[in-house]
Amino acid sequence: MTEHVLQMDDVTKTFGSGRTEVRALKKTSLDVNRGEVIAIIGPSGSGKSTLLTIAGGLQGPTGGEVRIAGERITELGEKDRSKVRLEHVGFILQSSNLVPFLTVSDQLKLLDKVKKGNMKKDERDGLLEELGITKLAKKYPNDLSGGERQRVAIAKALYSNPSLLLADEPTASLDSDRAFEVMKLLKSAAVKKNAATIVVTHDTRLTDYVDKVYKMVDGVLHLEADKGGAEPLEEGRTDFLEKGGNEDGI
Amino acid sequence: MFLAWREIRQNKLRFALVTAVLLLVSYLVFFLSGLASGLAGLNREAVDKWQADGIYLTDESDKSLTQSMMEADLADEVEADEAAVLAQTNLIADNGDVKSGVALFGIRPDEFIMPEPTEGNGFSEEFEVIASDSLKEEGFSIGDELDLSGSEETLTITGFTDEARFNAAPVLYMNLDDFEKVRPGAAALAQQDEIAGQEEQSGMVNAIVVRGAQPGDVPEDLEYMESETFIENLPGYTEQNLTLTFMIYFLFAISAAVVAIFLYVLTVQKISMFGVMKAQGISSAYLSRSVIAQTFILAVIGVLIGFGLTVLTGQFLPAAVPVSFDYGMMAIYGAVLIVVAILGALVSVWTIVKIDPLEAISG
Ligand SMILES: Nc1ncnc2c1ncn2[C@@H]1O[C@H](COP(=O)(O)OP(=O)(O)O)[C@@H](O)[C@H]1O
Ligand SMILES: [Mg+2]
Repeated sequence: MTEHVLQMDDVTKTFGSGRTEVRALKKTSLDVNRGEVIAIIGPSGSGKSTLLTIAGGLQGPTGGEVRIAGERITELGEKDRSKVRLEHVGFILQSSNLVPFLTVSDQLKLLDKVKKGNMKKDERDGLLEELGITKLAKKYPNDLSGGERQRVAIAKALYSNPSLLLADEPTASLDSDRAFEVMKLLKSAAVKKNAATIVVTHDTRLTDYVDKVYKMVDGVLHLEADKGGAEPLEEGRTDFLEKGGNEDGI
Repeated sequence: MFLAWREIRQNKLRFALVTAVLLLVSYLVFFLSGLASGLAGLNREAVDKWQADGIYLTDESDKSLTQSMMEADLADEVEADEAAVLAQTNLIADNGDVKSGVALFGIRPDEFIMPEPTEGNGFSEEFEVIASDSLKEEGFSIGDELDLSGSEETLTITGFTDEARFNAAPVLYMNLDDFEKVRPGAAALAQQDEIAGQEEQSGMVNAIVVRGAQPGDVPEDLEYMESETFIENLPGYTEQNLTLTFMIYFLFAISAAVVAIFLYVLTVQKISMFGVMKAQGISSAYLSRSVIAQTFILAVIGVLIGFGLTVLTGQFLPAAVPVSFDYGMMAIYGAVLIVVAILGALVSVWTIVKIDPLEAISG
């Protein structure tokens, strides 16, 4: 066994064939550890979502191998991958992934209906407290602001104690103040829950809160910055973090 | 049930509409079934009241009572615990105010098909009859003198009895001995007999009704059939029943289709929500069960209200509407409606199973 929650080895993804062929992902390898938070930035259409959905077992790669918590999901059918997702993966999406007819507390209760081993009551209350949504427990998603909804989405994703937390542009629908706030909460909650976390964003300012920054360009993933301290920062790369909005593809 | 209930509570109007459709369909089904059993009763209740096992007709009659003619003495030859002779003719009875088409039954008062009067007395004098109590509503009463079509004689009503309609006509029971004199064409027959010099003329009946039949050895020229077979061969009976039954079956098909369409539309609206849940790892089976549970809840509510409305409407119907509720049958139809609604929900289940969580996520 390894401490890597996510291991991707030489993963490729090609859509279509012949003239319409799109190589969305070229040979990509990526490992993420427990408690580690990484960001993937890059222009629109560069393959970020493709990478994330393959990492979460929502689609299979064309080549290479993916392991979640040591299990080779590349060989599993949809039913078993669904089980792996339920057991190990939490998703946070761009727009709210909440069920419109459930209150905030019922959103979490739904997970109790389908899975054992979710958070205990005091642990859950702590999480809601930390995300500042304790008072929203009885409200429906429609009555929440965008920022509140994303915080609930984070709570929902973490509630099932996932070992892998995947967020695809979780702040895209928020203004920048809210975006910073949500990002900060996401990071601290994920670290506290010891989940391996990948955040896809095209907002480079948000990467202040992560351990490593990867950049995706045309299906190729580079390490941009490693602030974890173990590896030295690659020279000439850190200034990218200050560059601002010109990576914004959307 | 968790998702099912909460969604219904949050979207009351939407689900009230589905329930309303099921309610109306079940109302119609229950009503038609009431009408079917009411109309059936109109045809058969006199026969049912005899509690007979079977009936003998002549084999040339092709199971038609009016076409069957036999000697009353044959009753001694049939093998059964009890046998009763029955002569029958249809005619119009007129009490001076109202006319009504009736079935006149000639019977022997000591045999088992003799009815108990529920009001008034049985017949003792010549030309007295016990009448079906349905004639009361038409304006007949005890003591009425009835002029008959095709006969010079008059009959007197001495009592009423319940459950006495045969082939949609109210029954008049009278003594077989007198019946001979009223049977249309009796006068002509009597003349013929005089010419032919026959003495034993009073002895022709249409059928022999039996209980505890051992129809192994059927007398020559006779044919034995069970009461049910006899009823099914009453003119128009089977056709009428089939018509109503077909209508009910069509309603089942219609409700399946309506529920299928309604739920499908609701499901399609929720595809991205289901997709997100599936991405989370919530199984198609769980989501499908939720849709089925929802359908079940709505169908049960709809059918129960439909049932209540039917019973309520039944209280206010004029007696002329031949509705009678067979609760056992209604329970079966209600259950079928629920099953049929759930079959309609399978379209949605199929839709859910096919949702690709990836599409919902990358939407
Ligand atoms: N299901 C698909 N079928 C065909 N092409 C796809 C599909 N999904 C993504 N692509 C293509 O793959 C490339 C990468 O897409 P995506 O991963 O969504 O980029 P990003 O999330 O970085 O904006 C794009 O060119 C996109 O058109
Ligand atoms: Mg994307």
